[in-house]
This record gives sequence, structure tokens and C-alpha cells, in this order.
Amino acid sequence: MSVLQRRRGLLPYLLLAPGLAWLALFFLVPLYYMARQSLEEGTIFTGFEFAWNFQTYTDAIANYDEQILRSFLYAGAATVIAFAIGFPLAYVIAFRGGRFKNALLLLVIVPFFVTYLIRTLSWQTILEDNGWVVNALQFVGILADDGRVLATTAAVVAGITYNFLPFMILPLYASLERIDNRMLEAGYDLYGTRRAVFTRVTLPLAAPGVVAGSLLTFIPAVGDFINAELLGTPRQTMIGNVIQSRYLELTDYPTAAALSFILMALVLVIVLIWARLVGTESLMGVEGR
Amino acid sequence: VSKSSDWDIERALDAMQASGLSRRSLMKRAGAGALSLSLVGFLAACGDDDGGGGEAQVIPKGEISERLTFANWPLYIDVEGDRRPTLDKFERKYGTQVKYVEEINDNVEFFGKVRQQYAQGNSGGRDLHVVTDWLCNRMKRLGYVQKFDKDEMPNAVRNIEDAVASPDFDPNREVSMPWQSGQVLIIYRRDRTGGEVRSINDLFDPKYKGKVTMLTEMRDTVGSVLLGEGIDPEDATKDQALAAIEKIEKASRDGQIRRFTGNEYTRDITRGDSEVILGWSGDAVQLTADNPNVAYSQPEEGFMIFTDSMQIPVGAPNAFTAQKMIDFVYDPQIQAAITAYVNYVPPVKGAREILEDSDPEIAENDLIFPDLSQAHNFKTFSEDEEAEIEAAFQRAIGA
Repeated sequence: MSVLQRRRGLLPYLLLAPGLAWLALFFLVPLYYMARQSLEEGTIFTGFEFAWNFQTYTDAIANYDEQILRSFLYAGAATVIAFAIGFPLAYVIAFRGGRFKNALLLLVIVPFFVTYLIRTLSWQTILEDNGWVVNALQFVGILADDGRVLATTAAVVAGITYNFLPFMILPLYASLERIDNRMLEAGYDLYGTRRAVFTRVTLPLAAPGVVAGSLLTFIPAVGDFINAELLGTPRQTMIGNVIQSRYLELTDYPTAAALSFILMALVLVIVLIWARLVGTESLMGVEGR
Repeated sequence: VSKSSDWDIERALDAMQASGLSRRSLMKRAGAGALSLSLVGFLAACGDDDGGGGEAQVIPKGEISERLTFANWPLYIDVEGDRRPTLDKFERKYGTQVKYVEEINDNVEFFGKVRQQYAQGNSGGRDLHVVTDWLCNRMKRLGYVQKFDKDEMPNAVRNIEDAVASPDFDPNREVSMPWQSGQVLIIYRRDRTGGEVRSINDLFDPKYKGKVTMLTEMRDTVGSVLLGEGIDPEDATKDQALAAIEKIEKASRDGQIRRFTGNEYTRDITRGDSEVILGWSGDAVQLTADNPNVAYSQPEEGFMIFTDSMQIPVGAPNAFTAQKMIDFVYDPQIQAAITAYVNYVPPVKGAREILEDSDPEIAENDLIFPDLSQAHNFKTFSEDEEAEIEAAFQRAIGA
């Protein structure tokens, strides 16, 4: 084998090396230590010792099943709502945007120029009990006169939806924009109704965007705690709030680590099921079957 | 993150300069400092902890240093333009340049930040930090702080206010010396309540359903509720504390309590999202000045008092000088200037008399000079009991 050939054989590995090193250093190593910590026993006063203590996991699930379930429900609801809002928007930008396409996309991203915390805090002001939103809703009778929006489940889900909406819109737009117009024309040529063309041509071709968008929205939303903290009450706390409290307030590091693992495992299961349902091809962006 | 890491490196550099290490070891340590925020810090955080350290050591006698690093909360010292007069006075007296860092925003957060360093006997360049009672106690239990040499602190010995001189966790004030104290008060919207609110039990009045907030600081909230029940939080049993937490949890579940807050309650009550709340005296001054509809009262059942104290962490490069700084602010003249600015309760005898001449309005203010016979501290429970109470409280507030 010539030197050149050998080098060519090494090249892919060299190109992969930085990425792999990064993953090993900042993902695998911390993961190992977190796994280890989740099985430790002790307090900050006595010190923590490794003990294969799996009971932390069962206790964590038993104690916080409510918050875990709530996190998945809120994240699921936010993902569905974000899709319902995001798809028409992405569709219009992709097919009817014309020369305003870039400007419209910019508008989707603009809120991201402001930090997450400030955006969420401003919702407190928008939804305040004596603010115009609440007054308007009371006026039209959607909200009882002593009702409120802030510090409710609706506010938390709305906050999550708002904060992750661009993560839904951008992948949807990317896959819709890529659709070859001739495919749609072919559909009409085959006497497809508008509806049939939409459901049998447009939607399947947009599937990679749907999958990517829903995962990009759902996964961070499950672990979110800012929205529950700022827009909710103790009855809306999510698993992220619990992890923070266990780690910082109670210095119960094993439980915090165990809860993180439980969360990770559950997310993984859901992603796998989701990938099974819609097909891994669309996850990878491979089209045509 | 980048801001704080810059600061870490800067502080490491300062510490090196002060202790005159060679450039070589300086580079090594500064490098470690830079890494500490990322991987090394993480590994250290995740490795086995050794737990509590031994007895605190008394600070040895030494010389006044050229520099001193003082970690405190924001807005907690007098300011004039871009100068801090108290620190300038200290510099004039001792020739020490004080690096004053407002890096503490939250007790638990600060503890999370310094824990690994302190556990290794490294103060991160800090000579003094100011934290609340319970964290002072935790620092002591973990062996993270040094013992004062009281011979070097005549002002502090002479002038400390009786009410804060001997808390149960540090009866002789050997490892903590009060910086300022504050009261837990009822703050309310006069325009909504239609009159004065005097009792802690009014927070449970269904009239204010969904308009009540309490504090995330367990001792402030549970202590106040205990007072409402007629129980002195200083002698409360664990079961009484747990019963109070249960009462709080029920009120939260029923929607009586809207949420639990830190300082952010100021926004809620200003907007009218809350109407009757527990809050802190330092904020009450500002809130009532900004909004005529906001009023405060000292609960008729008595009020909780919390104290933030100065401590000298282990490994502090200028511990001897830090002691002098503590003693310096126990000079009533110096303390009066701080009090006049920060509006908290001074722990120094004689400050009031000075203010009576210079600033009678402040000397008369019951937020700053309350009737201390009405003030209550929260009992220091054993480690196990404390852990149980803390966990129950965290559950009550939803986590």
C-alpha cells in the first residue's frame, strides 16, 4: 500500500477526531461521573461514597412521578401547539414568501436576540393580573372576572411553546422550501385535489422537518424549568425544577444525578418510539421510498 | 460564565502576586483556574467528597497586607459616585487596597460556586465573605472557615448588639460576625386590603386567595408561620416545624399561596399580582417609597430576623487583615455611614446614637432600628432534622 493510500485511509478518522474528542471530553466523561454520583450515598457533611445505591432511582421515581409526568405532558402539549402554529407559518414563508422570505425568517429569529430569561420575564408583564390581556379575556367572557392567566398551567405551556417555537419553524421551513415544485405539479397532473396533493405529496416530503422540529422542541422543553418557575406556581413545577432544588437547595447530589438519568432515559425511549413511528429515514432526511 | 471565569483568573493572579510566588507556579495555577470552570471543576465536583473538615484554626497574628478581597452582596455597602467611602476610609487607615466584589446573589448559589475550592482549603482569593446565618453554620460544620483572634478585634467585642451576639450555632461569635440584619415583614397593597394587615395569619385569609406569596428562604417563611401559630421558632420542635410546613403546603395546593419567591416579589406586588406577602425590610423601604399603595407592617405576633455575617474562609491569603476589616466596621462611626445607605438593621451598638444627630429620620425608622424584643431567630436543628425539614419545605414549594 502506498503512503498516499494509507493516508487516505486515515483521513476520515482524522476528520472525525476533533468531534469525537469533544464528545468524549464533554459528554462521555461527565456522563460517567454523573452515573457514578447517582449511585453514591452520603451528605455534604459526611461526604459521599460510592455504594451501588440503586434505591436512589426507585425513590426518585416514587417521589417525583408527578413532576416527571407533568414535564412530558407540558413538553408534548407545547410541541403539538408549536407544530400547529409553526407549520402554517413555515408553509406560507416557503411557498408564498416571495421576496420577503428572508425578512420573514428574520422575524422568526429576532426574539432570540434577547436572552431567554428576559423573554420569559416579559411574559409576566404581558399576562399580569391587571394587564390588558387579562382584561380583554375577562371582557369577552373567556376568563372569569376573578380569573387569571399568569401562574397557571396555560401560562407555563404557552411560555414553553413561545420559547421553543423557532426550533419548530426553522426545520419545517427548511424541508418545505426544498420541495421541488414539479412534484406538486405532477400531483395535480394526476388529478389530485389540493387536499390530496397536500396530504400525499407535501406532507410526506416535509416529514424530515416535522421530525427534526418536534425533537428540537420536545427534548429541551422536557428539561425546562424557567417557564414553570416564572410563569407557574408550585402546582406546575417540572422535573427541571426538582433537579435544581435537589442539587442546589438540598445538596442531595445523588438524587439530582439520578433524576437527570431518568429524564435522559425517558427522552431516549420516546425518541426511539417516535423514530419507529415516522421512520428513521425521515429522521435522517432520506427521501423517497 | 465568561465574565466570572475572567474574574477567577484575575483573582488567582492577584493572589499569586500577593504571596510572591514564582512566575512558573503562577502560570500553572492560573491555568488550572481557567480550567476549573470547565472540566477540572466538573471532575472535582463529581469525585468522592470527603465531607466535613475538622476544628477551625485560630487566625495567627501577622502584618497588615497591601490588599484584601471582600466578597459581598450587591447594594450592601455605602456608595458615593463610583467610590465606596467605607473602603476608602479603611485604605486611609491601614494602607490596604480593598478589592470589593459583589458576587453573592443567593446563598445556595454562592455555596455551589465555592464548595469545591473551600473543600480543598482554597478560598479562591477571597479574604472575607458575607452569607446568611444558616450558611455560616454550614460553613462552620464543614470546616470551611477560620476562627477569629478576638484580641485583634476590640471594637467587635465591645460593640456587638446583644440581640445578635450569641446565636446557637456560634454562641461566642468565633467564626462569624454580623454584617447587617434584616426583618421578615408583611408587605401589602393598601388599595386592595382596605386597611392595615397586622397578622401573619392574614396570609391564610381566603379573601386573598391566589394573591399571597411567601419566601423561598425556608427559615423566613416557616419561622413566620410558626409565629402566627403562637410558637417561638427558637424553641420549636421538629414536629412543630413540619406541621407549619404542612400548613404552608396545603395553602399552596389550595391556591391560597400563588408562589414562593426570592427578591422578585417586589415586581409581583408592584404590579398587583400579589397583595399580601412576606418580604424583607431592606426592600420595604424602597417599595413603599416608590409606590404609595404598598405598605408594610411588623407582624403583631413578632417578626423573624435574619443576619448576614462576615466569615474568613480557610486559605484566605490576608486573613489577619480581614479580621481588621471586620473590626473596622464595628466602629459605630463607620457603621452609621453604612446603615444610612443600606437601610438594614446594624449589629453595632452606638450607631443609632450617631445617626440621631446626623440623620434623625433613619434613627427613628423602625425598619432600621426595630424593637428587638419582638425579633425571633430560627432554631438551629441537628443536621438530620435540618435535612428533613428542608426536604419537606422544598416539597411544599413544589420541588
